[in-house]
Amino acid sequence: MALLKLAVRNLLRNRKRTVITLVALVVGVSAMIATRAFINGFRGMIIENQTRGVLGELQVHHVGYVANVQSSPLTIDMVDSPEVRAKIAAVPGVGVVSPRIDFGAQLSTPDRTPPHEDGSELPEADRGTSTFMMVTAFEPALEKQVTPRRWDWIGAGRGTMSEAGDSTSLVLNDDFARALKLELLPAGAALPPVERQAALITGDREQALNGENVVIGGTFASVTANDRRIGFLPLALAQRLLRMEGRVTEYGLTLEPGADLEQVKAGLQAALGPEYEVHTWAERIPFLTDLVETQTKIFNIVSTIVLLVVLLGIVNAMLMSVLERVREIGTMLAVGMRRSQITRMFLMEGAVLGVVGGVLGIAVGLLLVLVMSQAGIELPAPGAKVASVIHPTVEPFFVVRTLAQAVIGSALAAILPARRAAALRPVEALAHT
Amino acid sequence: MSHLIEMKGITKTYQLGKTDVVALRGVDLTIDAGEFTVVTGPSGSGKTTLLNIIGCLDRATSGSYVLDGVDVGTRDFDDLAGVRNEKIGFIFQNFNLIPVLDVAENIEFPVAVRKNAEDPAALRARVEQLAKAVGLDQFLHHKPDELSGGQRQRVAIARALITRPRLVLADEPTANLDSKTSEQIIDLMLALNREQAVTFLFSTHDARVVSHARRALQISDGRMVAGAMAH
Repeated sequence: MALLKLAVRNLLRNRKRTVITLVALVVGVSAMIATRAFINGFRGMIIENQTRGVLGELQVHHVGYVANVQSSPLTIDMVDSPEVRAKIAAVPGVGVVSPRIDFGAQLSTPDRTPPHEDGSELPEADRGTSTFMMVTAFEPALEKQVTPRRWDWIGAGRGTMSEAGDSTSLVLNDDFARALKLELLPAGAALPPVERQAALITGDREQALNGENVVIGGTFASVTANDRRIGFLPLALAQRLLRMEGRVTEYGLTLEPGADLEQVKAGLQAALGPEYEVHTWAERIPFLTDLVETQTKIFNIVSTIVLLVVLLGIVNAMLMSVLERVREIGTMLAVGMRRSQITRMFLMEGAVLGVVGGVLGIAVGLLLVLVMSQAGIELPAPGAKVASVIHPTVEPFFVVRTLAQAVIGSALAAILPARRAAALRPVEALAHT
Repeated sequence: MSHLIEMKGITKTYQLGKTDVVALRGVDLTIDAGEFTVVTGPSGSGKTTLLNIIGCLDRATSGSYVLDGVDVGTRDFDDLAGVRNEKIGFIFQNFNLIPVLDVAENIEFPVAVRKNAEDPAALRARVEQLAKAVGLDQFLHHKPDELSGGQRQRVAIARALITRPRLVLADEPTANLDSKTSEQIIDLMLALNREQAVTFLFSTHDARVVSHARRALQISDGRMVAGAMAH
């Protein structure tokens, strides 16, 4: 008679206890699957916000730009022309190419009331103000295809971003615009007089100060805690302000569906030569790797604790089972069963629990993941005004690994009870009441 | 001709806390194949200890014990598992059937746990033959809790015989049975002894059982009382 058959029947003899043990295992395994999927979904949400909201999937810069990116160096720029864009777009796997300039500027807001006729100073509350901000300039029609999430955030704010080539419309963070008490210019409305317009003032690539009047065409809702002092500007206006006509600091790129990121990166680098540098989104946000590592460590600690608690439950249940079957074990030893067979029988009981609990736990976990993934979990980042939607996913390797952990862990949890059973002396076991 | 069981100077001392309890005080015993022997004696006289040592379930503190030509006193526990499985059948007072197995599976259990599996068809045929011999051929797929006490003990007898043992040990086999069933069980064991030359050795308090035995040994205070021969 196979020990496996005996193990299964032994598990079925006290169904209530077996069910309780299985429920603990199912809850533990499904929680591990669901938690892992949530973490994966959270990571995916951050990546999507970065790739489809800020960076694009690949970026091209003049060599040396990224090493100095904190100072937004305008001198490490590139010629922007239809030929350059075509050259980039011709690389297999490249989708849309969006030229950009990132720079810092001072935003000066107009006084809120006309100057006093007697020349006296306006009250402070009515006076305009100046403040520093970071600006990303792009051609809206192209950028919309590279970072569509950005338009979701604009949609969650007020107004919109004009796609007209001669627009002087600035899009600001909504909280920032409200703090500065800036009023939006409704679409199609005539420009106010110059003295009623805001101005962007900055040093050009030669460090000479320059300024351009702007109107606030729209606002975007915050998606992170640190996107308050940010604005978007039409590329042509930024080039005029920075005296960088025909030049940009960055190209943001999308990939064609199915294209391999690393292969496209290598193709771009080969096509553009050593004057350019190509970075993937992952290389531009190294904090994400740290974040994932930290989350993985925390997850591993928590899941180890969960697994240990569940396995201790199995140890306890099986020790009770040994205690209830002392005379039976004595009989088995008496009729010639070896200690190693007794050990194997209990290990199999643990393993069978692990297989059944593991498979059921994974089924429940995957069902949870499916439900969460289809419904989506809205989760605003700290300080964000717009909720990002998490779609949990779990990798097949993790599912297989969790099943293996449940089976091996349950079998290991049976070692102590199995050893205790196998160590029984038949004479004492047979006399047990 | 050598004896099936040959014991010389067997002693057994248990330690209870700081106290040594002497259960056997130098027992000499020989039993030949085909005997039908009972061991009697008051509670605490040492008869269960003697049967445990004969059954290789326990080891003597001193003395020598040869079973069917094998010096079992020098074997380790797992070796003794093989000896028990091949040479000894056990019948217990409380039947000790395995509750998750049906009658047929309980009977075949001692063979099923062997390393070298037997031909399943031949094994099943022998199980059915034994079940028929003990009158349980209609109950092969019943679980122990669906049987009466007498039926359970019959299963235990069939289980004890499945390995074709040299010796069947029965510790108070009728203690939990009514008188009519006890008679039937004793008659069954006598028939097996007579017809199949199975060697039986059992302990009992039951005078009716003793009256059926061909040889009766009496043990008292750990010593064998001489001259207890019957029939």
